[in-house]
Amino acid sequence: MDLSTFEKDNSVSCRLASQIPDVCRTEDCCLGIDEAGRGPVLGPMVYGICFCPVSKKEELKDLKVADSKTLTEAERENLFQKLDEARSYVGWALEILSPNTISTSMLQRTKYNLNALSHDTAIGLVQYSLESGVQLKEIYVDTVGPAEKYEEKLSQLFPGIKVTVRPKADSLFPIVSAASICAKVARDCVVKGWKFAEDMGEVDTDYGSGYPNDPKTKAWLLKHLDPVFGYPQFVRFSWSTAQTLMDSKAVTVHWYDEEEDGEKAAQRQNNRSMLSYFSASGGGIDQNPTHQTHRFFTERRLRSLDTL
Amino acid sequence: MATKKNRTPNVENDSWVVIAPASVTDIPKHDANPAFVRLRNPRTDAGSLYMLGSGDLQLYEVKAFEEHFHSWFVGQTVQRDGRLLFVTPMDPLYLILPYLIKSGKEGKFQPVDQVVTDEEFPVCSRLLSCTHSLASLHHIAEEKEVGSRKFHRYSEEKTINWLKKKVERTVTALKKRKVSVGEGVKSTTYIRVKSESDCCEEDYLRYAHGLISEYINEDLSKALLGHLQLPELTSPKETEPPSKKRKLSDKPVEAGEDYTKFNSADFARKPAKKLTAAQKSLAKVDKTGMKPMSSFFSPKISIRF
Repeated sequence: MDLSTFEKDNSVSCRLASQIPDVCRTEDCCLGIDEAGRGPVLGPMVYGICFCPVSKKEELKDLKVADSKTLTEAERENLFQKLDEARSYVGWALEILSPNTISTSMLQRTKYNLNALSHDTAIGLVQYSLESGVQLKEIYVDTVGPAEKYEEKLSQLFPGIKVTVRPKADSLFPIVSAASICAKVARDCVVKGWKFAEDMGEVDTDYGSGYPNDPKTKAWLLKHLDPVFGYPQFVRFSWSTAQTLMDSKAVTVHWYDEEEDGEKAAQRQNNRSMLSYFSASGGGIDQNPTHQTHRFFTERRLRSLDTL
Repeated sequence: MATKKNRTPNVENDSWVVIAPASVTDIPKHDANPAFVRLRNPRTDAGSLYMLGSGDLQLYEVKAFEEHFHSWFVGQTVQRDGRLLFVTPMDPLYLILPYLIKSGKEGKFQPVDQVVTDEEFPVCSRLLSCTHSLASLHHIAEEKEVGSRKFHRYSEEKTINWLKKKVERTVTALKKRKVSVGEGVKSTTYIRVKSESDCCEEDYLRYAHGLISEYINEDLSKALLGHLQLPELTSPKETEPPSKKRKLSDKPVEAGEDYTKFNSADFARKPAKKLTAAQKSLAKVDKTGMKPMSSFFSPKISIRF
C-alpha cells in the first residue's frame, strides 16, 4: 500500500483509492464500509470502502476475507494482497483521518463528535464511489451509534440504494470484511511508520497497541508529555486519557469557551451579583463615580498602569 | 472534561512585550537610558506609569492592551500574560499643568523648577528636561523675565485656549483615522461602504473632548466643555424613571378589560368581585418610600464621554 500521500503531511486527512474496475461502472455493485482505529488514543482512524459487482460476491467469499480482528497482521497483509490481485472486479477507497483532525474536530468551539465525523466520512466515501461511476445498488455498514437511525440517514441520502446497517457487519458480509481489511492494513502501516512532525529528540516507538488501557501506551504517554504543548500530533488530544494526564501533569491552559463557574469566574467576567441591584444605592449605576475611562480606550481594551 | 481547572494566581513578569517608537532609545548621552517612571496622573491624581526617553528628552505615556485568555510565545519561552504595552509620545505639559494650577492659586510668579516638585513623585522634576516643556510653558502660563531668570504664573484662559486647539487637532485626527464617534457601538473591523456622513461635528467635538479629558482634571474638563459651547449632557438616571404602574385608587381593583366574558356562554358581564381579606389588608399597607419592582428593571441610559 502506498501511503506516501498521507506521509507528506500527516496533520491532515487524506484519501487513497484504487483504480475503479471497469465492470463496476457497468454492473450493479455492492459496497461495504468499515473503520479501523476508532478507540486508540494514538494514530489515525481509517475509514475504508470496498466494492464489487453483486454477481462477484461469491468470488469474494472464496478469497476467505474475514473480520480483520480475527486475523493476524501477516494474514491481513496477505489478504490485502489478494484483494489487490482481484483488482479487475474489486475496488477500494480509504479515508485516513489524522489524529490531529480528530483532536481539532472534537475540541473545536462547535463540537463535532466522533460519531458525526464517522458518519460524514462514510458518506463522503460512498459519494466518491458514486461520482466515480460505480453502479451502487447495495450498501453494507457496520453500525456506528444506533443502527436504525444510521440506516435511515444513509437511505435518505442515497435514494435507490438498499442500505443495511448491522452490528458485526464485518463478519456477516464479505464485502464489509474486505473493507475492514483495507482499513486495518492502512492504519497498521501508518502507525508503524509514523513520522513525527515535532522535534522530539529520541522518540520511543514502542507505544504498544495505542489503546488507552494498554500499559505500554500509558507509559509512552507519560514519557512524552510536554508541560506546555502536551503531546505530538500523533496523540488524540480529545481522548480523556490524554486530557487527564495533561490536567494533572501539564501547565493549565484556559480557553475562551471553557466552562467556568463560581464567584471568581463571575468577578473575572465582570458579572454583577443579582444582589447588587437591590442594594441601597438603587443598583445598576456604576459604583465608581470618580472617573470613567473614555470609550476610545475601553473599546480598545487599553488601560493605564500603576506599575509594571 | 471532568475536572474544573483552577486559575493559578498571576505571577509578576520580569519581561514585557512593548511597542515603542524608535525615538525612545535615541541615546545622546551614555548614562541616560530610557526608563519607566511613576508620575502623578493629572486626571486621577494617583500614580501612573510613564516613560522618559533617553536623556529625559521626551515623555511617553504607557498603555496596556489587556484581554482575558491571551499569552505570548516569545522566542523559546511562554509568557503568561498576553499583555501588550504601548509607549506613545505625550505632551509633558499635561503632567506639568497640575503643579502650575496648584501654585497658581497663590497668584504669584514663580520659577517653574520650584513649582514642579512632588514629595510622592520626586521624578516629576525631570519633566522639565523634556525638549518641549520649557519652550511651551507659555501655552499655559504667563511669563516674566527678570534678568536671566524666568518666572511663570498659571493662566486658565491660556490653558483653555491651548486645550481647545488640542481638541481641534484631535478632531482632525479622528476624522483622518475614521474613528467611529457616534453613539451607536460599531465594530472597528466592520467595513463601512458608506462614509459616516451622519456623524455630525458635535459628535466629533464631544468625542475629542472626552479623549483630552483623560489628561486633565475634572474642573478643567468642564470648563473646556463650556468653552467649546457644548452643553453638558445630563444623564436621565438622576431622575426617577417614569413608573409604569397604574395609579392606585381607593376603589377596588378591577381589570380594564374583562376577558372572562369570552368564556361565558351568555357574554354577560359579571359584577366585580369583592376583595378578599388578604387583598384588603395589603391595600392598607403604607407604601411611602417604597419603589415599585418595575423601577429596578427599567432601561438605564447612561451617556459616557
